[in-house]
Amino acid sequence: MDRMAQLLEASNLSFSYGVRPVLREVGISMSSGEVVALLGPNGSGKTTLLRALLGHLHAAGSINWDRRALSSWTRRELARHVAYLPQTPTFDAGQTVLDVLRLGRAAYWTAFGIESPRDAEVVESNAKLLELTDLLGRSMDELSGGQRQRVFVGRCLVQEPAAMLLDEPSTFLDLRHQVELCDLLRRLSREKQIGVLMASHDLNLAAGYSDRLMLLHDGAIVASGSPSDVLQPELLSRVYGIDIQRIESPGNIPVVIARPQPTP
Amino acid sequence: MKPWTAKRLVWMIAISLLVWVVLATLCLMVGSTGEFGWPTKQAFQIRLEPVLLASIVGAALASAGVVYQAILQNPLADPYLLGVSSGAMLAAYLWQLPWATRFLVTSSGWAFGQQSAAFAGALIAIGIVFALASRRGRLEPITLLLVGVIVNAINGSIFMLLNAIVKDTATPGGPLAFLVGTIQTTGLSTRQEIAAPVVIGIGWLIILFIAGQLNVAMLSESESLSLGVRIHRLRWVALLIASLMTASAVAISGPIGFVGLVCPHLARLFVGNDQRKLLPLATALGAGLLAVADAASRKLAARGGIDTLLPVGVITGLLGGPFFLILLWQNRRRGSVV
Repeated sequence: MDRMAQLLEASNLSFSYGVRPVLREVGISMSSGEVVALLGPNGSGKTTLLRALLGHLHAAGSINWDRRALSSWTRRELARHVAYLPQTPTFDAGQTVLDVLRLGRAAYWTAFGIESPRDAEVVESNAKLLELTDLLGRSMDELSGGQRQRVFVGRCLVQEPAAMLLDEPSTFLDLRHQVELCDLLRRLSREKQIGVLMASHDLNLAAGYSDRLMLLHDGAIVASGSPSDVLQPELLSRVYGIDIQRIESPGNIPVVIARPQPTP
Repeated sequence: MKPWTAKRLVWMIAISLLVWVVLATLCLMVGSTGEFGWPTKQAFQIRLEPVLLASIVGAALASAGVVYQAILQNPLADPYLLGVSSGAMLAAYLWQLPWATRFLVTSSGWAFGQQSAAFAGALIAIGIVFALASRRGRLEPITLLLVGVIVNAINGSIFMLLNAIVKDTATPGGPLAFLVGTIQTTGLSTRQEIAAPVVIGIGWLIILFIAGQLNVAMLSESESLSLGVRIHRLRWVALLIASLMTASAVAISGPIGFVGLVCPHLARLFVGNDQRKLLPLATALGAGLLAVADAASRKLAARGGIDTLLPVGVITGLLGGPFFLILLWQNRRRGSVV
């Protein structure tokens, strides 16, 4: 891995809610232009890890963005560098697509919320890139789930980030929109050299679109590497607590399926 | 997309000023006595002061309403309904009672005296409301308003009780008028007439300064943070300033209801919910419309004879109360949180 392109480097991350540990000594790294998927059952610590990497939660351990300690970044600086799409992104009732997109530039506004011509350019070019130009005047309430999610990805993109952290971005989308979104994310990582880190519940989708998978179990990373390395049926069966089978498929990306559980 | 430039902001402020000037001029043309028309020099001198005072109070309440609605993410938030106004009222009233000034004679020469008391009262009220309405760090919209209403009722009762005990006759316009909210020019010191606009003006500029961040604050906490806004600090700063502005207004007029609720919503009809545009226009509407309501209350009172007094709070309550109910009804139909 090219050391110069090292975007994120975090080690020994530990965090607990009260006495319950959620992250245990987690280490994670990411380079520019790389797509990394964070897998694991509900409650395994995926969201907590993302929020810790952004500094929304104060985890013990070291986090470096661009080889600079997280604590030395201001919120504004970090917002120009790392974008975050939470599991349930929000908008103010009645906001249009344009309203939502321009908020992504908030970290570039000067005092009194004054925008520059460049803010407008970035919003317009990204709207074009995401095929949102015709929707700009539409109210968010009128959009379909797939369109809405594309707008939120757009809000991340206008931040002009070097990295994007996404929390289960495809969960509420149908199959076609899931694939379209993942296509888009991979294309962005390749063309704009954005590092993409996404938490996902869909093992196969993640395997198909990621350079690397990381499997979280009870707050610890139990496997990390290429899709075919991480998607081991015994390991997955243990982590998810159900019987999981692996099917080899062409293209060297395996498919895993859950076998029906025996009725007791 | 047209960027929101400094030039457009200046235009927005200019248009808002114009709205206020038109409304204020209308008020100058209406007197409690005499015909509608351009005022004589003498009438102008009498009418100017209440118009300016009402404008200052209305501007403060409307901009506080904008802040509360954005920060609390609650379209029904308003300094009056949250109990902030009545807390400020009670403290301001305590301050001017004869016994208070006797003990606090050293600080009575301080221009901000009564305003500081009102500010403290506002903070205590909002502290109580927040403590009771928050559960696991989240504010529950309905509980928030419910607690606000109860705090209002308690403050009003204490006010009347004190009134009965000390047999206060010194409060200008009578204590009842101060309870409902009134624009009275007689009881104010020159110091206060200068201090209040200064405090409110500075507070307003700070809110305008952070207006862009208020747009982001309407999203979830984690989104605000990742869009570069230090949301916890922003909330504190904004709520403190809004409460300070409310207190400054209440120290002059008593708790005038619904201005902070109605004016931001009226302004939203024209400019949408972008706080950078909303703040100037809502402020102008607050200033202008409270001046109009005050002029109307004077005109109505004059019909009842020379001794009749109709506090402007009665007018705003009559107009604003139903407006609140309509808003509540609409929000329920839309199935939103409130």
